[in-house]
Amino acid sequence: MKNILKTVAERFAKKPPQAATAENAAENVGENVGNAAENVKEKPKMFDVDTDITVRSLDLYYGTFQALKNIDMVMPKNAVTALIGPSGCGKSTLVKSLNRMNDLIPACRITGEVIMGGRNIYDKDIDVNLLRKNAGMVFQKPNPFPMSVFDNIAYGPRTFGIRKRGDLSDIIERSLKSANLWDELKDRLHKSALSLSGGQQQRLCIARALAVEPKILLMDEPTSALDPISTGKIEELCEELKQKVTIVMVTHNMQQAARVSDKTGFFLMGDLIEYGDTAEIFAAPKHERTMSYISGRFG
Amino acid sequence: MKNTCVEVRPQKSETAAKAVFGFAAVFSVIAVFAIIFFIFYASVPAFREIGVFNFLFGRLWAPDKEFLPVSGRFGILPMIVGSLCVTAGAVLLGGGSGVFTAMFMSKFCPAKLKGVLGHLINFLAGIPSIIYGFFGITILIPVMDRISPTGSGMGILASSVILGVMILPTVTSITKDSLDAVPREIFEGALALGASKEQAAFKTVLPAAKSGVLTALVLGTGRAVGETMAVLMVAGNSAAFPTSVFSNIRTLTINMVLEMAYASPGSLHRNALIATGAVLLVFILILNLLLGLLRRKKRERRSREKPLNIPDEGGAAPAKSYNFRETGTFTRLLKYLSAGITAAIVLVLTAIIGFILIKGLPAINFKFLFGPSGNAGASLRPAFVTTGMLILIALAVALPVGIGAAIYLSEYAKPDTRLVKTIRLFTETLAGMPSIIFGFFGVIFFCEFMKMGVSVLAGGLTLSLIILPTVIRSTEESIIAVPHALREASLALGAGKLRTIFKVVLPSAISGIVTSVILGIGRIVGESAALIYTAGAVVYTPDALTDRGASFAVMMWMFSSEGLYMSYAYGTAAVLLIFVAVLNTLIALLKNGFERGKKP
Ligand SMILES: Nc1ncnc2c1ncn2[C@@H]1O[C@H](COP(=O)(O)OP(=O)(O)OP(=O)(O)O)[C@@H](O)[C@H]1O
Ligand SMILES: [Mg+2]
Repeated sequence: MKNILKTVAERFAKKPPQAATAENAAENVGENVGNAAENVKEKPKMFDVDTDITVRSLDLYYGTFQALKNIDMVMPKNAVTALIGPSGCGKSTLVKSLNRMNDLIPACRITGEVIMGGRNIYDKDIDVNLLRKNAGMVFQKPNPFPMSVFDNIAYGPRTFGIRKRGDLSDIIERSLKSANLWDELKDRLHKSALSLSGGQQQRLCIARALAVEPKILLMDEPTSALDPISTGKIEELCEELKQKVTIVMVTHNMQQAARVSDKTGFFLMGDLIEYGDTAEIFAAPKHERTMSYISGRFG
Repeated sequence: MKNTCVEVRPQKSETAAKAVFGFAAVFSVIAVFAIIFFIFYASVPAFREIGVFNFLFGRLWAPDKEFLPVSGRFGILPMIVGSLCVTAGAVLLGGGSGVFTAMFMSKFCPAKLKGVLGHLINFLAGIPSIIYGFFGITILIPVMDRISPTGSGMGILASSVILGVMILPTVTSITKDSLDAVPREIFEGALALGASKEQAAFKTVLPAAKSGVLTALVLGTGRAVGETMAVLMVAGNSAAFPTSVFSNIRTLTINMVLEMAYASPGSLHRNALIATGAVLLVFILILNLLLGLLRRKKRERRSREKPLNIPDEGGAAPAKSYNFRETGTFTRLLKYLSAGITAAIVLVLTAIIGFILIKGLPAINFKFLFGPSGNAGASLRPAFVTTGMLILIALAVALPVGIGAAIYLSEYAKPDTRLVKTIRLFTETLAGMPSIIFGFFGVIFFCEFMKMGVSVLAGGLTLSLIILPTVIRSTEESIIAVPHALREASLALGAGKLRTIFKVVLPSAISGIVTSVILGIGRIVGESAALIYTAGAVVYTPDALTDRGASFAVMMWMFSSEGLYMSYAYGTAAVLLIFVAVLNTLIALLKNGFERGKKP
């Protein structure tokens, strides 16, 4: 196991272009922050630029149990990164550590770095709320609020100070369109979101996340509770959305990973066993265990 | 080969058992109907003689002024207004604080503190009304006297404060439960959108728990409108229209409990008092109706916003950029407010307990507790004896009936049939009836109609109706928690349903039954309004069930209302508080033991 880790780490150490990207991004943000600090006395707006995500030697413990072991990976911008692996291997844990939803678990302890737009999101002065605005999340089970479709999508914008009805309407239309839901819902904006079908609810949750213009979209098995047709629609959506946002998606479905993702990471018991271009991983995995997992021998 | 006819006999007894349990289950329906019937029936003469309109809208209440025409002497409009004023004040103060406290407990406070606060709230709920009233006259009123422009602190504001503290536990615990029941995904969904914890709590979780919050407020309203002994002591008691928050007022309940003492049986005055009870009952029934509606109302609700009319530009909308900025100052203030209110409540509770113990404990000695009691000098001996008798009578009736009803509801009835819904509705209606209504029903039905006279027996039977809903609810909860596998195991061994219930289900549900017994005892020990006119208010120790006898709370009322025995009143209050603490501790221990037992 240790060897594998080392190889993975080495692989990344040998990839200068990506490291450079991260540094560039860091500089860009540095400037942005500088400007903002001069103009208005506001907290730095984190990575208001398209961004990739760099995870550096991340260890995560739930109490004494180590759920993630020394993870190193770069999830490139404008691409879909799929995380696969058997149940309990830490996929959800990793996604949740990308927008610090793990903060809600008292026993959870993290070391290492997650860098977005040049900032380690675990730094003390990071504004967690802004982080979560910029790294939207879609959960396994659709979780619309018990409000109207309109209020659901308006929730995020309202939270961030958008009050004018015209603006809200505009955002709602745009978000619903981005989630390919506008035609289905434009006449039902004031119906309860709970009256939608499961697939519609999940796309509504995507639209809700998009309404605050995130740069990153984290999805934890977004289609596992849905029928094949709804699943297809969400996969198409990812294809379109990655033009604008960096997508990280957990999936149990090998075909789905192969279909929608550009990069794939395979996890096993908290270790990142193999990470690389999806096409390569599925055509010629370097590790036996990856091979047996994607060919369906365990998991 | 001995082939016994085992199949015939058990079936018969099973059918009989089902019928018995079924009767126990509809008992609360019958009880509610009986209460409504007897109170309305007994008020018919008053309505007829005075006239419904004159009674409800009359502005003068002067039963002694014989020279006035009957139609003008008995008007209860000032009291209706009084009841509405103090109820509104109580719901505003106590209901509002209750919701904030619940928010603090459910969303902002550390887990350990949450447990402690839960116990405190339960304690607050267990304190008898008479103690609240007593705290009112001894502490609150002197303070209010200073603030009041009229120099007298009694009135709407004081009543609202006391009632607010009294309904707070109800509102808090129901609101907290419904906040806790909001799926975690909803809270996390809001956080994942970048909302702060406070924003997620106040703008997502609280709206999602809306129907629970409303239910809590309606229950609180019912409690406030029917509360008697506490308001009696702080309202100032003048049957006039209020002009300011310091105006003295009289509520419907005060009118009932105060004048019943000297209205002679069969007189128009007494009938008019019962009719006052009928009016109060109508208010309570309306609130119950509201509760039913709330429960039925589905989550589906239409947003109030008008439909949009956006021209569809085929996805080519110009990408305007918005200035997202962090908000949340307001919700953060709300959070601090919640914490502040919770702290204030803890303070008030500590003040009540501390004050009463400091003043009351020195009064407690052997002679005060068990010495002889009579006109020469009073002790709590009659209260011990009377309360013991009351508990025995009330439990002897309420336990079998309540357990039977719980068995029927959980083991026999198909869930969600109309019958079950009706039974539940009526059980809850019974649970929501004010003590004073029970007291009046007891007088009309047990004392007079059943000819028991004012006696410990009549008081005990009245109490059995009061504690019945608690017994049903907590037994049923624990029966439902018995795993299905246990029943199947027993049935698979060939045991009949009845045997399974008595040998397997009930023993496993024992903690719920014991809890209901303790809750019942707590209620009985602190009860006053329902007992004054059914069991009596005397300082003698009863020798038989047919004698009069006063419970602890009634004795405390006698001590404090005469103003002569204040140290006795403090002493009784301390004794009552100790009871409440012991009973609450027992319940908490039971619950802990039960939960530990459930863990593998
Ligand atoms: N809150 C928690 N407290 C303690 N342990 C946890 C917690 N959440 C997850 N774990 C443990 O961490 C490990 C990784 O869990 P995680 O949910 O990340 O797995 P997963 O790969 O997403 O699995 P699945 O495919 O079943 O969703 C598991 O062993 C799990 O039991
Ligand atoms: Mg998972």
